[in-house]
Amino acid sequence: MTTNPIIQVENVYKFFGQLTALNDVSLNITSGEKVVILGPSGSGKSTLLRSINRLEKIDKGHIIVDGQDITAPECNINTVRQELGMVFQSFNLFPHKTVLGNLIMAPMRLKKMSKEEAESIALDLLKKVGISDKAHVYPAKLSGGQQQRVAIARALAMNPKIMLFDEPTSALDPEMIGEVLDVMTSLAKEGMTMVCVTHEMGFAREVADRLVFMDHGEIIEQGTPEEFFTNPKHPRLKQFLEQIL
Amino acid sequence: MSVEKKEVRIAVTDGMLIPSGKDKSVVTAWSISLIFAICSIVYLCVNKPDPYLDIIKFLPDGILVTFKVTVSAILLTIPIGLATGMGRLSENKVINLIASTYVEIIRGIPLLVQLFFIYYAIGEFIQLPDLTAAIIAMSVCYGAYMGEVFRAGIDAVDSGQTEAARSLGFNKTETMFMVILPQAWRTILPPVGNEFIALLKDSSLVSILAVSELLRRGREYASVTFNYFECYLMVALIYLVITLLLSKAVSIMENKLNYYDD
Repeated sequence: MTTNPIIQVENVYKFFGQLTALNDVSLNITSGEKVVILGPSGSGKSTLLRSINRLEKIDKGHIIVDGQDITAPECNINTVRQELGMVFQSFNLFPHKTVLGNLIMAPMRLKKMSKEEAESIALDLLKKVGISDKAHVYPAKLSGGQQQRVAIARALAMNPKIMLFDEPTSALDPEMIGEVLDVMTSLAKEGMTMVCVTHEMGFAREVADRLVFMDHGEIIEQGTPEEFFTNPKHPRLKQFLEQIL
Repeated sequence: MSVEKKEVRIAVTDGMLIPSGKDKSVVTAWSISLIFAICSIVYLCVNKPDPYLDIIKFLPDGILVTFKVTVSAILLTIPIGLATGMGRLSENKVINLIASTYVEIIRGIPLLVQLFFIYYAIGEFIQLPDLTAAIIAMSVCYGAYMGEVFRAGIDAVDSGQTEAARSLGFNKTETMFMVILPQAWRTILPPVGNEFIALLKDSSLVSILAVSELLRRGREYASVTFNYFECYLMVALIYLVITLLLSKAVSIMENKLNYYDD
């Protein structure tokens, strides 16, 4: 593990009208680290995650991803985003493409891969997430859990250095959460740098190197899962854990 | 959370009712209308060949011109509509304003007036064949309406699609053409089909511009033989047959585009 952070969030502010969504947030994430961001709804955790690949434009501060300041006007965000896989709460698969089509689109267009090469990588990834039999099916035919696993595979097809997960299991039926978390856990074990916003405490405890607790747009406490769950310091974190556990 | 008041909107298009592809029954408004129109034409031509058969022999040249105007205008309105629709959704204020103003002006002036104006305005600067000028005029008018259809269709695609495409590294143009538009076609096609049918019907307006399309051919025939009633009856029935067939074609295309539904 290198000590140089792969993601640097420096004194970031984000305003939605009167609301301060991010209030002087700073966070460094090193390569290979798994960070889980927790917090009540409206605490700014999704906004922070989405700022990392500039789906939200921040109003003040800097975010440096893999050595590139994505807040700089001359930054080509499209190339930075190729290093950042993103998984959404609502999957957002492309419904007009088959599962395979979803996976090969970006590598073929953006990495100029041949169709054969992209397909062979895609099929390997589908095997990894356990749905190789659905390669030629349209997303509408899949369950939520399957769709989310395809979405993870689609992000991985670009061979990103970092994976961002924005509440990947929140839209799923309870019986499908496990299969998605399993895929995420095995991804973590392979050494992927991961930043997850999730409410899955079991996953957070098992996988995270570090937990970050946010409230009202600020990072209030961070630490290892051990410290977090056994010895929470801040009263708001204590209250949050009581409610959620 | 406040209860959102649901806005009720009643949309009555000036095109045809596109028959539903899922309706498998034989007796529908569409089939009755078509059979009525075709049977009437056949009956009249067989039983009263003079003047009906003569009229029907005289009209095909006009049908051809009607098709020429309609198809050319359609081919021109698609890029105009696409550009206008995207312009109306553009974050660039200047582009947005240009597109919106174009739509606003066109929508506020009757088509017939626009036709006269554009046709003669074009004539002031360049000498174009009548047919070409008419096609350009129709395209400018319908491009604005088409722009609104495209705007609504693009707008209807879930914003998550844009986010997913952008987060993979696609730029705005790639996102639009590879992800958004292929999905927007589905929502766009029925109203676009409707606009096409309306355009075909409105192409009868260019008969006043010395373009010898279906209606004008009918008028030409009638002004010589004084068979006004018979002539316009035939013209009306032929328009009906064409628009009915066109609406069916749109419905078939629509079904083809639904391939990825569950």
